[in-house]
Amino acid sequence: MTAELYTPEFVIGLLVLFAGTIAAAFPRPKNYLTQLINLEIPGWGLLLVMLHYNEALALFTFAAVSVLSTYIFVRVMQKKEGIG
Amino acid sequence: MNDIVMIASVILILTGMTAAIFNRDPFDKLISLSVLIAGVFPFIVERGFLDVAIAIALIAPLSTIFTLMVCRRVQV
Amino acid sequence: MALEDQVPVVAGVHMIALYICAVIAVYAALRVITERNSMRKLPFLNVVSFAVTGIIALLLPHPLTIAAAAAYFVGSTLESNAIASTWAGGLKRP
Repeated sequence: MTAELYTPEFVIGLLVLFAGTIAAAFPRPKNYLTQLINLEIPGWGLLLVMLHYNEALALFTFAAVSVLSTYIFVRVMQKKEGIG
Repeated sequence: MNDIVMIASVILILTGMTAAIFNRDPFDKLISLSVLIAGVFPFIVERGFLDVAIAIALIAPLSTIFTLMVCRRVQV
Repeated sequence: MALEDQVPVVAGVHMIALYICAVIAVYAALRVITERNSMRKLPFLNVVSFAVTGIIALLLPHPLTIAAAAAYFVGSTLESNAIASTWAGGLKRP
């Protein structure tokens, strides 16, 4: 935990997390699809930040739950907008 | 890690992130997101998490395929 | 004794292939984001995937890296083909 504070994946992960969060909060063509695709960017940034702490099981769980939540959002969009 | 490989991975991540944010077409956004994912993998392998790399490499395309289920009907 | 036990893997001639893969990955990524047509981006996306597969396979001297490289190869090819198939019209469902 206190080994080294500024590994490259930690800094790049924080940068991707920050930029992706702002892009997901204010999507440019303001529809659900753009917001869903922008929501995957801070997910990968958070995975890079979690890589800094050397926990393998956390990475497994985070990847699986991320895909599951994407599937749930897709189902919600299909039911709400009547597509699919 | 090697400096050249690390710089190449950082360039892949930053270009993928920038293009994924500023594109407007959903297919262009998904292609740029794939470039970002390609840049993440050398960092995972370099830390020694090879089982995590195998699992994420097989799980991550499912997310894109689930997104494409919505993307087809909106675009066409 | 095998050749890999005598020659150190971390320096010298062995790293040229890794550097070539890194340069190809960066060049193909720049070609991806500067291309206008959405369909012309997909071959360069495949080039990025192949170069990253080479980087993964050559980065660590560990026997499981080839499995990770094969898994990434399968996954990225599936993703690219899914995008291309959906762009071309997708499955025709009644």
